[in-house]
Amino acid sequence: MVSQYGIKLATYLISFSYGDFCSKVCECLLSRGSLTLAQIIRFTELSRENVINCLRVLIHQNCVQAFSIQQEVAFGEAPKIVTQYTALFDNMIHKMRFPKFMQIVSKELGEDCLGIFEGLLQHGRLSLNQIIDRNKQTPDNSDVHVVRETFSRLLNARFVERCPAPEPFLAPHEEETPAKKRGTKSAKIAEAPKTIEQRALAAAAPMESIRFLMEIDTLTGTSEEKGMESQNIAMLDEKWKQDFSDAELSASGKKKEILWRVNFEEFMRRLRHKACMEYVIARLSDQSGIVLSAILELTRSSETRLKTDKSASLSINDIYDEVIKKDGGLGMDFERIRASLVQLGCQIPTTGIDETYSIDLKNIVELAQNEEVESVVLKRYGREAYRIFRLLSKSGRLLETDKISDTTFVEKKDTLKILYKLWKDGYLHMEKVSVNGPKQTLFLLWEMNKEPLWLRVLDEMYHAALNLRLRITYELDQEKEILQLPKEKLIGELEKRYKRLGKVRIILETSLMNLDDALMLFRDF
Amino acid sequence: MSRSLETSSLKRKRPEVDPLGLVDAERAILNAIKNKKDLGIWVRDIKQETKLTDHVVNKSLKSLLARKLIKEVVNIQYKGKKHYMAVEFEPSKEVSGGVWYVDGNLDKELVNVMKQLCLRCIRVQKVATLERVHEHLKKQQVVNFEISSQHVSDILNSMVLDNEIIEVKSTGLGAYYSIPIGTVCYRFDSSPAVAKGSKLGAFASIPCGACPRISLCTPDGVISPSTCVYYTKWLNIDF
Ligand code: SF4
Repeated sequence: MVSQYGIKLATYLISFSYGDFCSKVCECLLSRGSLTLAQIIRFTELSRENVINCLRVLIHQNCVQAFSIQQEVAFGEAPKIVTQYTALFDNMIHKMRFPKFMQIVSKELGEDCLGIFEGLLQHGRLSLNQIIDRNKQTPDNSDVHVVRETFSRLLNARFVERCPAPEPFLAPHEEETPAKKRGTKSAKIAEAPKTIEQRALAAAAPMESIRFLMEIDTLTGTSEEKGMESQNIAMLDEKWKQDFSDAELSASGKKKEILWRVNFEEFMRRLRHKACMEYVIARLSDQSGIVLSAILELTRSSETRLKTDKSASLSINDIYDEVIKKDGGLGMDFERIRASLVQLGCQIPTTGIDETYSIDLKNIVELAQNEEVESVVLKRYGREAYRIFRLLSKSGRLLETDKISDTTFVEKKDTLKILYKLWKDGYLHMEKVSVNGPKQTLFLLWEMNKEPLWLRVLDEMYHAALNLRLRITYELDQEKEILQLPKEKLIGELEKRYKRLGKVRIILETSLMNLDDALMLFRDF
Repeated sequence: MSRSLETSSLKRKRPEVDPLGLVDAERAILNAIKNKKDLGIWVRDIKQETKLTDHVVNKSLKSLLARKLIKEVVNIQYKGKKHYMAVEFEPSKEVSGGVWYVDGNLDKELVNVMKQLCLRCIRVQKVATLERVHEHLKKQQVVNFEISSQHVSDILNSMVLDNEIIEVKSTGLGAYYSIPIGTVCYRFDSSPAVAKGSKLGAFASIPCGACPRISLCTPDGVISPSTCVYYTKWLNIDF
């Protein structure tokens, strides 16, 4: 379940882009879980037409996924298939990150890919023909071949992917599905998914083999994959006919063209790598940063999940070859690379036969998370509390009050006060141990209360991000008249106010982008 | 009842002559105190052990103090409780808190001086192992006690917790050339983030990250981001 302020931020973002009805539907789905159309109508008290329109927009914008399941019925009745809708929380929050995604694309592929990419961000899903049409309408339009070429570059970089199946059918019992037919997908399902929503997403995802494949004739093929695709489309026809009237249907995704969308997963992967690199550069050294970036570059395409714990193993030779291509990497020799690997937490193998290395990315992410929480403690509770908290977060186990006081050089009575306060506010977990000697003594043991604390910090960060957004809106609202004035009228006091607004916006917006980095650190990495 | 019996039994022993001229009650108390050696003993425990009345105990303690046979000590574990110790003992580490404590209080001055010295040593050497810092401090002879490697380690650890120095493993290269690979050492980092003592996280650098009222703050409530005073203050800093 998404936390309270996570929902508030998501619905704010949706209402900002697609209006209040859509945001109402999102809120309903986010707080209640997957629902049928009838349920959404009942809970939101919106008209059927409004809800259908909202769902169409939200599906198109990749914020909602539909799936159908067989409903439990009384014995003897024919089984009923119902369509449910589930909200895709992370995709809603990603809206905030579009500038970051665009920056990655323009840095890696150049400005010409940006046009197509921006179109996909804005429209959610587009077919190649639509992309080509859109390009025709731009003033400096390019030839169809160029557009196709540009598009395939986006595809090769995995920045764009095939859209998921509109409405996968979830069999009541997974094990009954013939494993052979599902191929890679069944492997995907076996990996982790537990909830029905996760199963739906896994079932909807296009197979890896065609996910980034442009040239495929979906209408005539007979291969398994194509079979799946048309099966899905047929099913979609059925369902949409039930839920939406024919007129509505013709406007919706009935066209059998392949639809494309932005592959958020790839961007999150890159941002995760970037965060790891930044942490390493700030905390270890530039050289370790270069080595890490070389390793990530080489192993990125083999990562199958976003939250990969450890990078794939690479030989020292491969690492070297990539390192010297990097800025500042030319001067590095094997010895320096090994030294950096040690700093990155690797062990140098004692036998030289198979010298391979893998980086513990999860550990780097955790260290960065710790720092984020620690600095909140510093700000809210002061330096001594910071020292105490850091001790507990570094040790990761229960420590006794006196031990804490001795290690941190904080007076015993102050230590107890601080520990108590942090415990009361949910940062720490406490255990009482009484020892029966000649006298009964009571010891207090303390530990960082990691899991609940992390969730709370995350929720507070969603809250803070929402606050930043609201303050930006408020500041703009305050200076509405000034913003409407022509430039030449902005003199004296007015000019001052205009300039102030500019600065305020920069502060708020950069803070929001930085805060979002921290949000991803806790939620996505 | 039992009390009066005991006093009378003590009285009966009186004929033995005490070399220090102590009465029985005083002797009993002094023994109880001496038995605890460098740990000292709390008044209530004396009473329990000797089974003497409050009045007798207090009177005897006064007299023993006046004869300089015992002393009052502060036990850092139980600061509010009066503890006594025989004069020939020095409070143990558990009682006094060790070199970092004077009269039961943390000697912040000393700790700070030591931190400064360690920091200077590490700054000059760029990276240093515990042994090196220890050697350096011993040579300087700045304190009036024998400085142990544990003392130095205490100080360095607290500086790591404060983010004033960074604990790293030697790479055997560059500044680390004389330190075997993998050895734990301490590094001074002059990058601005570390110079400040700690790097502020993204959340902590905005008002909401430090806000004590975040749980009361709602978009349309009395406390809200548009009316927030912390924001107003924050956004006005630069103008
Ligand atoms: S907006 Fe102001 S009152 Fe609300 S949480 Fe942030 S700093 Fe606190």
